[in-house]
Formats: sequence, structure tokens, C-alpha cells
Amino acid sequence: MESFILLLGWAGVFLPTAFGAIGSIIGCGRAGQAASGALLDVESGYGRLVGSSALPSSQTIYGIVVTMQFNRAVSLDSAPGLFSIGLLVGLALLFSAIVQGSCCAAAINTTKSKPEVFGLAIAPAAIVEGFAVFAFIFALIVGGSIPGGTAG
Amino acid sequence: MTAATNYHWFISSLPHMPRSFDVEHVPISGIRLQERLRMLGDDDKNTVEQVQRFLLWDRQQPERTDEDVQMEYDRLMSSVSNPLVRDIITYRMDVRTITSALRRRRLGFGPPTAVGQYVDHIRKHWNHSDFRLQREHPWISGVREALDANKPLSVERQLLNATWDRWVKLSDGFCFSFETILLYLARWEIVDRWTRLDESAGRKKFEQLLAQTMASGGGIK
Repeated sequence: MESFILLLGWAGVFLPTAFGAIGSIIGCGRAGQAASGALLDVESGYGRLVGSSALPSSQTIYGIVVTMQFNRAVSLDSAPGLFSIGLLVGLALLFSAIVQGSCCAAAINTTKSKPEVFGLAIAPAAIVEGFAVFAFIFALIVGGSIPGGTAG
Repeated sequence: MTAATNYHWFISSLPHMPRSFDVEHVPISGIRLQERLRMLGDDDKNTVEQVQRFLLWDRQQPERTDEDVQMEYDRLMSSVSNPLVRDIITYRMDVRTITSALRRRRLGFGPPTAVGQYVDHIRKHWNHSDFRLQREHPWISGVREALDANKPLSVERQLLNATWDRWVKLSDGFCFSFETILLYLARWEIVDRWTRLDESAGRKKFEQLLAQTMASGGGIK
């Protein structure tokens, strides 16, 4: 039983990075495919289309930072906290990256025929990013009180 | 891209559909559209072919009898499984049935032996000006007036407008999915049909249809 709890603790350390990366893969993939398709239908603004498809990559970076913050000698005291916070922030990063990818794809699809609305079209993706940032920040704050860390 | 379709890529590669079908040109040529459609997965390609075959068939052909329409309808409904395609077919068939009923009543004939969910309903409300279908099909009164005024182009415009609105409404529920592609095709077909319309040719065709019906005493669709 102790080994299983420790296993969950270690999983909790890496879950933010893993889930963040999975979300970014799916999100960037969707937006990138939309950007590639749009290249067939536009004569300019290629960089903006492809660039905006990279927005969902930030979730991986947030995940890495949380994992670095959580990285410590996992004990029976710290494992439950690491797992629960790691899992929840990982899920938040995963879903936000996927949804942000869809937002970016929609923005790319809109921008190709109305380039002047790019700023407005990309706003939903920025809003989704905001929620990912909230999850990231509060994971760091709450994670600071888990035993075994620099603040614990 | 052969086994499964990359819908994000595919849909973003298509030019935007105009807000109305009343434009001078189709947003993408038929040849280019067919080239793109060849990049769909096998299953999707089969469904798209079913839709395209139906939309092509749906363009009026005076030599068809009600029995032909019934047979085609039965064949389609037994072979098509995609819910949206069935919806597209059903709606178009309903429009045909109602239009046929309006024309037949105007010519003094009885209710049509057409297909779809409204056959019995129309028979029951034959003497009502809009067959008590105005709520579901608000275009009926406008089409009836245009038929009475002998304005075939206005009839065609209103029928296409009603169908266009229906496809636009359905499109709102989909984004980057196969259904989006099907509804794009359905709308493209309307734009294509409209841009090919010629008022004088349409009037000639309408008169020819009318003459045939009067001569045979029925069979109009």
C-alpha cells in the first residue's frame, strides 16, 4: 500500500507535464492542420496563421514549471498532495490546450477571409489561456504547502 | 488522409461560403472542389458521393413520374445511414412534395402521390391555403403567390432561399466536422444552381412543364 501511495506521488509530480504536453500536441495539431489548410486559400499572412497555431504549446511550459516545483523526495506525507494537485492541474492544462487549439483553428478559418478581424478572432483563445494560467498559478501556490518542498 | 479525414485541414482549405446564394460566382469551382473531395477518407467519400448524386438528381427533370420519385426516395432511404444526409434528403423531398401540391391545386388536380412525411397531412388539409404547414415551412405563402403570379424565377428563388436558410441553420451546429463538409456541399450546390439559372430558359422550361402536365393530366412532381 505504501508503495502504491508513493507511486501516486511520483505520478503527481509528472502529471502536469504529461497532461500539458498531451493537450498541446492535440491543440497545436488541430490548429496547425487548420493553418495548413488555410494556406491553400490565402495569398498572404502565412506567418500569422502558422504562428497562431502554436498558442496551445504554453500549457506544456506551465506543466514543466509545476513539475519542477513539485520535484522533491516523495514521502507518504507529500504523495497525496502531489497526486491530487498534480492530477487536477494536469487535467486543467490538458483540456485548456485542446479547447484552445479548436479556438485557434476557428480563428484561422475566420482570418483567412477577413484578416482585419484577426485580433478579435483570436480573443477566445486568449481567454482560454487565461484559465490555464489561473490553474497554473494556484497549483504553484497550493503546491507550496505540500510537505517536503522548499516551502513545506 | 486516406483512412480518416483531417477535417481541420479540409475545412480551412475551402473558401468561405457567401452569406447569400445570390452571387455571381461559386466560391470554388466544381473541378477544384472535386479535387479537394478526393482527399477525403474512403467512408466519407462514399457518403459525399451519395449526397452529390442526390443533389444532382434533385434538379428538376420533367420526364420523371411520381413513381420514379417514390422509387428513388425508397432507394436512398434504404441505402443512406448518415443522419444528416437523411435529413437533407427528407427536407428536399418535403419541399418537392409541397411545391408539387401547390402546383397541382393551382391546376385543379388532386393531391400528389408524392413522398415524405407530409403526404397524408397535405391530403387532409388540401383546401387550406398553406396546407397548415406555414409554421414549419414559412415559404409556402410566398411561393404560392409567385406561382399564381406566374413568376417562375421568384418561385425558384424562394425555394432555394428556404433550402439555403435550412442548411445555414444546420451548419450552426457543426464546426470542423464531416457534417460541415456535407452542408458546405449542399450550399455550394445551391449557389451553383442559382448562378446557372437563366430567367428566359427558366420560363421556357416552366411553360414546357405546364404544357406537359396539362396534356397528361398529372405526373407533375
